[in-house]
Amino acid sequence: MKNPNEMLLIPKIDLGIVIDHIPAGDGIKILEIISRYEEMHDVIVSLGLNYASQKLGRKDLIKLQLEFLNPEIIQHISIAVPGVTIKAIKDYNVHSKVVVQPPKEIKNLLECKNPNCITNREKHVGTLFTAVDGETRQVRCQYCERIFELNELDVLID
Amino acid sequence: MKKDLISMEDLSVNEIEEYLLDAQKIESMPLADRVKYLPGRIMASLFFEPSTRTRLSFESAMHQLGGSVIGFAETAATSLSKGESFTDTIHTVENYSDILVIRHPGEGTARLAAKESHLPVINAGDGSNQHPTQTLLDLYTIQKDLGKIAGLKVAFVGDLKYSRTVHSLIRALMKLNVTDFTLVAPESLRLQKYFMMSDQPGKYRFQETESLEEAIRHCDVIYMTRIQRERFPDLVEYEKVKDAYVLNAEMLEEAQSHLRVLHPLPRVNEIAYDVDKTKHAGYFPQMRNGVIIRQALLLKHLGVKI
Repeated sequence: MKNPNEMLLIPKIDLGIVIDHIPAGDGIKILEIISRYEEMHDVIVSLGLNYASQKLGRKDLIKLQLEFLNPEIIQHISIAVPGVTIKAIKDYNVHSKVVVQPPKEIKNLLECKNPNCITNREKHVGTLFTAVDGETRQVRCQYCERIFELNELDVLID
Repeated sequence: MKKDLISMEDLSVNEIEEYLLDAQKIESMPLADRVKYLPGRIMASLFFEPSTRTRLSFESAMHQLGGSVIGFAETAATSLSKGESFTDTIHTVENYSDILVIRHPGEGTARLAAKESHLPVINAGDGSNQHPTQTLLDLYTIQKDLGKIAGLKVAFVGDLKYSRTVHSLIRALMKLNVTDFTLVAPESLRLQKYFMMSDQPGKYRFQETESLEEAIRHCDVIYMTRIQRERFPDLVEYEKVKDAYVLNAEMLEEAQSHLRVLHPLPRVNEIAYDVDKTKHAGYFPQMRNGVIIRQALLLKHLGVKI
């Protein structure tokens, strides 16, 4: 009989992308983001929840069997769950890694929460938000000038 | 490169001071000289929302400078009533004029127009967001009446939540080293916290109170505002607060002798008519300054040196 612990682990991948250091509970959120992109529908995805982590106590983990992750998706993840690590795996080893933080300027990705903002009154107008603080926890709509917490804004996807 | 005026947030202290200086020069200039500046130039006055003072003072300012004006004062008379988009309207009007002055109930509209158009755009009020030309005329009035701006104690009274004139002016005063603010508003109309944000948080004092009397005793400038019926989603809420603060002459007996009462107007009943005759009433001269400051900025944004 196989060791039951082994069966719970996500298999190592020889080539792909690992999204690591996801705060426990946010793995589902990232999975949901990934599933909203058509190009990701055929990709093999493994999701691990509640792994022990030195840094976070508990963490989630996602492995994607594809070579290249679209920067738009990375930006989207960085906005929804800032601070995760994205690793590129080659020959079972970490080839490169990056800790993703939301950008200082977010174009056409977030929806303004102010119903009276011109970006909501005229839907063909794109949106533009810029960071108010160093970590981009708060952003300002460049049209109506309202300031929002980044995590209270919804993401626009065609 | 074209120069727009969209938000007080975009202006440096130097730029603000330049506008005020230009206005001073214009005020001292005879009308016969002013008319030589803008012959043949056309200002498009695009008012998607009602206005008396802003629109008429802009139009008067342009005429006095020798220019002419096209435009509309309500959308019923335009193709917007047929469903034309705002951006298409802008692309149409820019063929017929040299500068666009825009008032619109939607927030961010002037910014959008400025991005879309090759012409300079002046924001004449966008929803409850910004009203920079009003702010510049308020600053000009304060400087003219009290001889300075930095260090004054300023109270804002009434609708601090929806009033764009308040939002614009507070941010500008903060830039110009006004640090002592008294905010008098009913609970439901208080100033949103993000207007008090600063990279030097210890520098500013925002005293929130419901007592107008306290503000009168403490301050150098009282900036009154109308409770704006049209911004209330629920009129029951409006009825509860519409008469929250009414300033009358008797209350001003407690004031310092140099106190100025300002108001962007129109007033409904928040300033009793007996205040008009007191030495503190500054809102009629304030209104007259509107033409002067708008002349200064029409010239600047059309690239004409004074």
